[in-house]
Amino acid sequence: MAVIAVEDFEREAPVAPPGGAGGRLRRHMGSLLFLVPAAIWLLAIVVYPVVATVRYSLFNETATKYVGLNNYKSIFSTNSILLTFRNNVIWVLVFPFFVTFIGLTLAVLSERIRWSTAFKTIIFMPVVFSLTASALVWRTIFDTDPHVGVVNALIMTVHDWFSPPGAYPVDTSAGQTVASLASTGLRPGPHGTLLSTSTVSPGRTIELGMIGITPATLTALNAQRAAAPSPTPGAVTGLVWRDFSPSHPGAKGKVFPDEVGLPKIRLALVRATGGTAATTSTAANGQFTFSHVGAGAYRVQIQSSNFTAAFTGVFWLGTKSLTPTGQLSQTEQALLSVPLVDVAMIIAYLWVWAGFAMVVIGAGLAALNREVLEAARIDGATEWQTFRRVTVPMLMPVLIVVFVTMIINVLKIFDIIINMPPGSSQGDANTLALAMYNFGFGNGVHTGLASALAVILFVLVVPAMLWNLKKIKG
Amino acid sequence: MARVVLKDLTKRYPGGTLAIDKLNLDIADGEFVCFVGPSGCGKTTALRMIAGLEEITSGRVEIGGRVVNDLSPRDRDIALVFQSYALYPHMTVYDNMSFGLRLRKFPKADIDKSVREAARILDLEPYLDRKPGQLSGGQRQRVALGRAIVREPAAFLMDEPLSNLDAKLRVQTRAEIARLHQRLEATMIYVTHDQVEAMTMADRIAVMNLGVLEQAGTPQELYESPANRFVAGFIGSPSMNFVDMTVADVDGTVGLSSADGAISAALTDIQAAAVRRLGSRSVVLGVRPEHLDIGAPADGGLRIQAVVDVTEFLGNDRLIHASSGDYDIVAMMDANEPLKVGDKIVLGADPRHVYLFDAESGASVAAA
Amino acid sequence: MTSVAATGEVPGGGAAGLGRAALRRLRPSRWVINLVLVVVGAFWLLPTVSLLIISLRPEGLFTTSGWWQVFTIPSQLTLHNYKVLFSNGLAPGQVLDSLVTSLLITVPATILVTTVASLAAYSLVFGRWRGRTTIFLVVVGLMVVPVQVGLIPVTRLYRDMGSWIGWNPFGTIPGVIIFHVAFGLPFGIFLMRNFFMGIPLDLLEAGRIEGANEWTLFLRVVLPLGLPAIASLAIFQFIWVWNDLLVALVFLGGNSHQPLTIFMFDQIRTFSASYWEISTGGIVSIVVPLIVFFAFQRYFVRGVLAGAVK
Repeated sequence: MAVIAVEDFEREAPVAPPGGAGGRLRRHMGSLLFLVPAAIWLLAIVVYPVVATVRYSLFNETATKYVGLNNYKSIFSTNSILLTFRNNVIWVLVFPFFVTFIGLTLAVLSERIRWSTAFKTIIFMPVVFSLTASALVWRTIFDTDPHVGVVNALIMTVHDWFSPPGAYPVDTSAGQTVASLASTGLRPGPHGTLLSTSTVSPGRTIELGMIGITPATLTALNAQRAAAPSPTPGAVTGLVWRDFSPSHPGAKGKVFPDEVGLPKIRLALVRATGGTAATTSTAANGQFTFSHVGAGAYRVQIQSSNFTAAFTGVFWLGTKSLTPTGQLSQTEQALLSVPLVDVAMIIAYLWVWAGFAMVVIGAGLAALNREVLEAARIDGATEWQTFRRVTVPMLMPVLIVVFVTMIINVLKIFDIIINMPPGSSQGDANTLALAMYNFGFGNGVHTGLASALAVILFVLVVPAMLWNLKKIKG
Repeated sequence: MARVVLKDLTKRYPGGTLAIDKLNLDIADGEFVCFVGPSGCGKTTALRMIAGLEEITSGRVEIGGRVVNDLSPRDRDIALVFQSYALYPHMTVYDNMSFGLRLRKFPKADIDKSVREAARILDLEPYLDRKPGQLSGGQRQRVALGRAIVREPAAFLMDEPLSNLDAKLRVQTRAEIARLHQRLEATMIYVTHDQVEAMTMADRIAVMNLGVLEQAGTPQELYESPANRFVAGFIGSPSMNFVDMTVADVDGTVGLSSADGAISAALTDIQAAAVRRLGSRSVVLGVRPEHLDIGAPADGGLRIQAVVDVTEFLGNDRLIHASSGDYDIVAMMDANEPLKVGDKIVLGADPRHVYLFDAESGASVAAA
Repeated sequence: MTSVAATGEVPGGGAAGLGRAALRRLRPSRWVINLVLVVVGAFWLLPTVSLLIISLRPEGLFTTSGWWQVFTIPSQLTLHNYKVLFSNGLAPGQVLDSLVTSLLITVPATILVTTVASLAAYSLVFGRWRGRTTIFLVVVGLMVVPVQVGLIPVTRLYRDMGSWIGWNPFGTIPGVIIFHVAFGLPFGIFLMRNFFMGIPLDLLEAGRIEGANEWTLFLRVVLPLGLPAIASLAIFQFIWVWNDLLVALVFLGGNSHQPLTIFMFDQIRTFSASYWEISTGGIVSIVVPLIVFFAFQRYFVRGVLAGAVK
């Protein structure tokens, strides 16, 4: 038996493939069997679907009829799908660069502090959160309402610091104008002010009527019943009131008993010759007094600041484009606009992934040969020169890994897009992966289009796949 | 305990590289055989083929009269001590040593007895509960030996087991392995690139080069009658000196001389006959450093005119590097020999100590 | 160098002296770096903190005043939201039910990926069959395949399974798990293989000589040594699956039990979203990965470093 086995061998080609003889085959079977579960799994759920998806992409919406490249044609001719490419391009162009840059900066800086472990943990934490939770957090942070969203709250604080809101905000965006508030003895003045039509001199009174003030505003300001002003020597006195009487609707120019004064109106006394003589504001009953006024003719001006609207918040998650789109056709708009919501999402995504970049680059940094850096210092390089000319070039392979990883990541970006923008902006924020999901499983399923989008997504990551393979082989 | 026979053992790698070419060796039961050779000579491959870790391209391996070509390593009844020791880092010394027996489902009591016995022989008793990471290099080495011993295999295979030890420990362990061999009377096949190791321990040495077995024999045989120039150069330290000589057959006396005439030799009759048989004009002369002495012997023999280049003091001996024409001749002298750099000297050797090799094939001329 | 020489700081000093002086002037002081990083760290913590605070404030306060007010009025904090959310117990669609569903998906998927990937990696590293490198390269190639490619065909495959073997995994938790395992395998095999490559072949050969078969070698030698890599893979996979939205969204279909990500997603999508409720769910959803992360930070980071290509 043994001898026969030897002869078997000798008859074989010099390069005997392992497993040629029964005994050897049995010896190798063991470890080959270990591969079977993974092989079945990968073939059925990963490899086969790649082929099947390509096939479905050539079929109609129910995968029942062959339609050739029609699905691809409609992808490239439908604006609402085309803009997913625009968004993917924005993501790919902006995100990998910034995340690598931030990661590098934080990795380098955190090497210099004693509490770097704590710092790195804090920065890295969002990586373990679900993107759904992160999207939720950032959706709140970017909320339009300054009472909800911290970004708008901060902007409001700054905004109010420089231009405090008036008591009688005019919503110019809704078409309301300051001029429309003038009723009696008032005409529009310069720079959004109202000016008394007549002049007044010390010792005289003046009555100014306004309309278009909501009862809610008056309640909030605790406005009192209007009372006619009495003349005071050496002073200009007067009244600003709401020139609307529920008992005498339509009758203007007269102060009725059921009319209220307008409190907290900022006023200026303007010389007829020009220049402000004094400022004051109205009391709860609408009365005001400019005391110690020199002789002469004056007009009373209702300051524009009374009408300054409070800051109402930037719609960060909206579709306002950062690039001008006025002159463009619909297709061009779809391809060229950069909606604000993309910016907001990129910021949120940077928050999520900067920790990843930092940790990977930090590991690269730790693996650098310290002696080379020290040699550079000895050679007279400054800290910055060392960083720029030695550290960064030596880190380049790691930086590229982070960069490429992030490109692949944003090509497939899905969770943040489906969760962060409100419904009104989702169409403009759409990406390939989300569009694929919507066509595949949303309303109005179109298997062909969804598969074509999946194929495109796959084709886009193929260069990264080849790069990976090259890196591993080489 | 078993006899190990290698019959036309050949290894060819898939790329076509011939690692071992028709190796034939019969290792007797209880014999200690060393495979030596420079790195890449195929000695480790041969050992791994015996162990079953490497496929056999052709030929056969017999252990204890059984062809084991198709047997997996575990069925060959052998133990292998690795160069890296290959101790399981996650197991204690005890578990490392008992692993094989446990796999073979030996009774617990028997396992315990064997392990403790091996530990006693190897002075490992205090370390049985430690993990390999907590041991010194020498201790790890002994655990690797112990793991082999407890199995009581038909043959022990050792792959450069001492190469990771420092020089002092190596000498110590060398003696220990030799003692172990005497005690166990087991067949041992030992691979090393260090000819000193092989010379000191082996019953028989197999010198390999480029996949070919150059010569197998006792240490003394290899030293005294090397089959070829390679073996002559490999065995012995410092290495043998080689000089290309031209044959001058004048008046029935065969003489040899180097190109510039600074080295010349008169041959014994037997040598002369062999050179005549060879029928070549050129031949390579070899002489060991320890056989050279100041002054040529009166009855002919070897005569080398040279100038001292370097002298190395080794304690008992002094190593002389002297140049003679293009050749750097190394000679081992008594330490007291008063020689200075630049001294013109004449070195000589007894004709008995002159080796002659075919200039082309390298085969020993005297032996041919 | 020139500028330093120009200032005359080190008149006639040696080159080393010049370099050091220049260095000292250009190095931002430790104090500045510390300050900058404190600010950056605070900025990074802020979103998470805000989520926590929102979940701890009464429902009514959400739209009327910002969460940051708790810094001046700490009395706003209450566990009310959690009480309400947990009071519904394990009823489908509630947070606790989602928590359990997330675990039911994540734990088996993690165990399966680590087991199957370890076995395959063992075969790729220590097996003695031809073509191991080729198979490994295929696996590396599969690592970047987007899950989107699998969604439609696997949905159909699941439905077909219903008619072939009478079991349709679509809409079931196993259906989600099967898909997750498949797409987790390439990275798992990659990571385990790279780790196993570091195990000396001698150890395996020693085992083979001692009489171990492949299964024994796997269990008794390779697995114990591969524990750190297995931990890395398991934790990486756990967090990956735990945080998944897309796969569950597609393959759970109309199942009444939904994981936490879908719980949040549904709430966000509701027209009158109750942020306090989503935030509370959000905190519940990030607590688990945070615990895992803090407990096994080292291993997770190792997994991330290895997976810098996924």
